[in-house]
Amino acid sequence: MTRSRLILRCVVLFYIAALIGVPLIFVFQQAFLHGFGAFFSALRDPAMDHSILLTALVAVVAVPLNVLFGVGASLWIVRHPSRFTRVLDTVIDVPLAISPIIVGLVLELVYAQGGWFGAALAKLGWQVMFSFPGIVMASIFVSLPLVSRQVIPLLREIGDHQEQTASTLGAGPVRIFFSITLRSITWAAAYGVSLTLARVIGEYGAVLIVSGNIALVTQTLTLNIGANFDNFNNYQGFVGAVLLALSSIVLLLILGVARHRERRRNEYLA
Amino acid sequence: MSILLNEVTKYFGRDLVLDNVTDEVPQGSLTALLGPSGSGKSTLLRIVAGLEPLNQGHVELDGHDVTNVPARDRHIGFCFQDYAPFRQMTVFDNVAYGLKVQRLDKARIRKEVDDLLSLVRLESFADRYPRQLSGGQRQRMALARALAIKPEVLLLDEPFAALDAQVRGELRSWVRSLQRELGITTILVTHDQAEAMEIADRLVILNEGRIEQVGTPDSMYDKPANDFVQGFLGPITTLNGVACRPHDIELCEPGQGVTAIVTDIIRLGFEVRVVVRSTNNISSWVQLTHDEAQRLNLMVGESVSLRVRRGSGRNDEAVLLGGAFAVPYDQGEL
Repeated sequence: MTRSRLILRCVVLFYIAALIGVPLIFVFQQAFLHGFGAFFSALRDPAMDHSILLTALVAVVAVPLNVLFGVGASLWIVRHPSRFTRVLDTVIDVPLAISPIIVGLVLELVYAQGGWFGAALAKLGWQVMFSFPGIVMASIFVSLPLVSRQVIPLLREIGDHQEQTASTLGAGPVRIFFSITLRSITWAAAYGVSLTLARVIGEYGAVLIVSGNIALVTQTLTLNIGANFDNFNNYQGFVGAVLLALSSIVLLLILGVARHRERRRNEYLA
Repeated sequence: MSILLNEVTKYFGRDLVLDNVTDEVPQGSLTALLGPSGSGKSTLLRIVAGLEPLNQGHVELDGHDVTNVPARDRHIGFCFQDYAPFRQMTVFDNVAYGLKVQRLDKARIRKEVDDLLSLVRLESFADRYPRQLSGGQRQRMALARALAIKPEVLLLDEPFAALDAQVRGELRSWVRSLQRELGITTILVTHDQAEAMEIADRLVILNEGRIEQVGTPDSMYDKPANDFVQGFLGPITTLNGVACRPHDIELCEPGQGVTAIVTDIIRLGFEVRVVVRSTNNISSWVQLTHDEAQRLNLMVGESVSLRVRRGSGRNDEAVLLGGAFAVPYDQGEL
């Protein structure tokens, strides 16, 4: 090994260790400080359990909606380009550029009681802010482009010749979508789904504002962890953090598989 | 099945890509759409397939207007230049695709696909994926897939362009004999004149969205309608200001032709290219066979007399007269 490569390797290792490795070890060490028994009884904290359930529910609603939107928007942008889709292609990235706190604030200004639509919606009996729908909206917003950003370049690359060939063979649009298009973009979409899921589970800022952060009602797991640290309930906070970290690790593994499959598929694209 | 194109006009935005194209492709023929890139030939092919809407005119198949019939209902076999293999499917499933759409029973699909695979000599590749095939094999797979729906019209977009020279030659003659055997009306798009002349029994030459000439390869080579067609179908040079083919020029007795000085002799395999300069300083070239050149024993700097070979479809008297009374293209009194 050359010296420069050795130095490079050390720098990278140090970087990863300092930013990811040591904090991760610290979180696990803190969570298991009092042994497994204490850890497992801390898992039965009602506020935390409720927040896990809420987070899971938000993910179950927000992720499929974003996948539908992401795949649909990608197909529209790539296969039916127009002036409108060029605008859409840019606008779709806005959530990545805006601070989540701002997203939360804007949603609140529009949908809260005093906001533009808030009063009208309240009259219909729908409370959007400080409740489940608001959390879902914020989650969808912050993770909006994650699926389409994976799918759009792939759709562009594979082109529409396979789809057109299928149509000359007598296939209709639905069959073409499921037998050709979807099979081509499966792994890219899966990659986008894992990113979306990670973002939805881990979102803090936007959800903090729109949810109202009420324990046992509108507190998601990240908010619960934050609240525990705020209330000097550090141990409970570390237990929550371990759960969050574990979910990230599982997602990372899925991401790794998706990316690997994606690369294998790409090998014969050229 | 015959194909009629009637005043087909197509714009891409403001660009006119097909301008009033009218042609009738007879049943069972192999027509080559020939033209430089950007001449609109691929667009025309896509219009016949129903993959591209047109702005004006109409398309008829066997007398039925199909202008507004979508591709999926036209029952036309289409092969893209890149073969568009279904990458996620095996060779078998690729070929079976059109049959599955028709909801045939499994045993019948298996039988038909096996027959098609043996027709294109891919029997042993049924379980492979397209990525495991060579270019020529992919092309044959795409052909089998298109033929699976038993189309009466087959459209091939630059079918041999992506193959290396040897495979290209083999596939060309194979496609030709397959087409004859099946008697299927075929249109093939190409920018390669040699390929078109070799494979097609009918040529349609397109340039900037317009048809320049339609005819058999022979008649067009000998009696091109204009300079574009002549230039496109083979090499041309000028003798006394009149365009002609370099192999149609012969060396003759002094005084019977145009006098010129040999400036270069280039050996090209079995052919010899003789570059000459006429007395009024115009450069030209003559293509001779190796035997002819040896017999004449030409030397650089030598003075020669040139004329257009009789019966080459050009008025050689006109060339002698310096083009002043030239009938530039033989109008058929050959």
